[in-house]
Amino acid sequence: MFWKAVVLMGFIFPFLWMISTSLQTFEETMKFPPTWIPASPQWSNFVEAMSAGPFLTYFKNSVIVTTSIIAIQLAVMIPAAYAFAQYKFFGNKILFGMVLLAFMIPGQVTFIPVYLMLADAGMIKSLWPQIIPFMSNAFGIFLLRQYFMQIPQEIIESARLDNASEFKIIWKIMIPMSMPAISTVALFSFVSHWNDYFWPLVMTDSEAVRPLTMGIAMLRETEGISNWHIIMAGNVVLVVPILIVYLFASRQIVKAFVYSGIK
Amino acid sequence: MNKKLSAIVLAATTMISGVLAGCSGGEPKASSPAPTGQQPAASSPAGKTTVQFWHSLGGKNGEYISAMIKRFNDTHENIEVVGTFQGSYDETVTKLQQSIAAKTAPDITMLERAYVQMFADAEVLEDLTPFMAKSGASKEDFPEGLMGHSVFNDKVVSLPLNRSTPIMHINKTMLDEKGLAIPTTWEELKKVSEALVIKENGEVKRYGLSMPYDTWYPIAMISQAGGKFFNDDATSIGFEKGEGVKTFKYLKDLQSTGALYYPPAQDSGNIVNQMFTSEKIGIMFQSTGVMGSVKNNAKFDYVTAFLPKDAAFATPTGGANIAMLSDSAKKDAAWEFINWVNTDPQGGQQFILDSGYLPFTKKMVESDAIKELWAKDPNRKVAYDQLQYAVDTNKDVAWPQIMQEFFKSIQAIMYDNKPIEPTLDTFKKEAERLLSE
Repeated sequence: MFWKAVVLMGFIFPFLWMISTSLQTFEETMKFPPTWIPASPQWSNFVEAMSAGPFLTYFKNSVIVTTSIIAIQLAVMIPAAYAFAQYKFFGNKILFGMVLLAFMIPGQVTFIPVYLMLADAGMIKSLWPQIIPFMSNAFGIFLLRQYFMQIPQEIIESARLDNASEFKIIWKIMIPMSMPAISTVALFSFVSHWNDYFWPLVMTDSEAVRPLTMGIAMLRETEGISNWHIIMAGNVVLVVPILIVYLFASRQIVKAFVYSGIK
Repeated sequence: MNKKLSAIVLAATTMISGVLAGCSGGEPKASSPAPTGQQPAASSPAGKTTVQFWHSLGGKNGEYISAMIKRFNDTHENIEVVGTFQGSYDETVTKLQQSIAAKTAPDITMLERAYVQMFADAEVLEDLTPFMAKSGASKEDFPEGLMGHSVFNDKVVSLPLNRSTPIMHINKTMLDEKGLAIPTTWEELKKVSEALVIKENGEVKRYGLSMPYDTWYPIAMISQAGGKFFNDDATSIGFEKGEGVKTFKYLKDLQSTGALYYPPAQDSGNIVNQMFTSEKIGIMFQSTGVMGSVKNNAKFDYVTAFLPKDAAFATPTGGANIAMLSDSAKKDAAWEFINWVNTDPQGGQQFILDSGYLPFTKKMVESDAIKELWAKDPNRKVAYDQLQYAVDTNKDVAWPQIMQEFFKSIQAIMYDNKPIEPTLDTFKKEAERLLSE
């Protein structure tokens, strides 16, 4: 129990430090040893962080981009994973191997050709460059395929005997039975795209289409002393939506891992 | 089937590593200049010309530059400058490279001074000479110490904007307590730094000197010791005669007694700033850029001075310049902005007053506003005065790569206690290889 608490603290500690710093005065952030409880919480830090740029726009963009990515990914991944799991067709192993390969290529390798293509298509000033390259998710296809393969063949076969269409099988059987895995994939995708800095940085040129992470990067000083209290206030704003989503999804995620363990 | 799959894996990994090697093998070259006037001269309905300006200033400095842009837009009916933050200096360079290739580059950009040559060589920067001639401006309007990265192949391809130099920041109260004078030579600096150290039970409680983990300070010291970072032909490093060894030996000596605190690499600038303002360090080498915030937070008599000399005074400069892209379709409007920044009291001059960067035209230096500022805050004058000793010895297209190699040497010596001479020999070989490419 004690060690559990220690490990838990190790994970929570930076988080508490962030929240504490976000409520401190500048002088308090500079002190050593660090202040843990701010003398009087500076809620104005949040106002200052949010007024450094069009944060409402950033927030809106982050929401649009991440929700679109998740929606499109689910629409692509679920049928793909179903096909890989349930059909025997020519070349399916090779195709699946290629899916796995796709998930090993880092974005830093592909950003220039992708940028050139999207610029050619005249999409650079829109939100599309942040969405289109992520319409599919190789890791998600892989995870869902493994999960779909565990669903008893009998259930699917009896549905087929009842003349259910493949779409209906996916919709009425696979999705409800795989909810834990699906929400895990969706959450991973949400966290990585919500927090992504590199891709929006290279893909966007104007404030109007930038997400929150770019706004927070702007809070840092180029030279001089960084205002950690303001930066951390910005980070709290960035992290809170993740926490909320996580609270809703966490039970499903635990299930996903528990179930896959049993089989 | 398995064989097939592994064949594909093999083929694909070879391909990927090929791409990666292509990336790391050299700085991606910006593409050749496109014929000008490709983009339609997009103007907003009101007949305004929109000029895109990319910059790298975040935090307070970002607010100051936005305020400057707003002042311009408020007083110019026909031009709208849109300033966009593009990440750090390095990130802005990456963005510029890809955007030039994709023809989505801005009209004007802020460019860290050491990267100017790379873009100048790729011939993607506009020659500002004709524009300057039309506006009656000339190279002589700018302090010489700041023009080291402006002229390439007889073309003025960039002009100074937010420029800084390293300078010595001193806790005068701490020195006074010990009856110490502000050091002006390495010898004096050593004595003062050692005298400031406080040890309790063998643990250092207070250090004499510190500086961020950066190439800037070793380069400054190598120049002070009489060396050059690159030799004049840019075929090798220019400090064979032991200036490099001397610099690092000096730093290691101080480090061994606790007189020098050499900070961890990550976030080193912030660490030394905080240690300085919380009086854990007496003296720090640090950019002029921090003067404003240190002054606001220091509860002691805070003064600045020239970096101490060894054989001579010397200082590199830093910060960024402003440049126009030759692809721009709105060059006249873009120049109007640049010229306004250089000449209008509400332009760059106000930005300098706000931010703490160096005044970058002679006219600014002579202005009442700057004179008043200097009278009120002599620390800021010191930084400008030091410009007479400015050197630009790390000027070469290969600098960004050589910088990485130099960082490795600094790490080996300062963190891992590797012997100085062999480490610098290795660096020299690597630098020569990169310079000959």
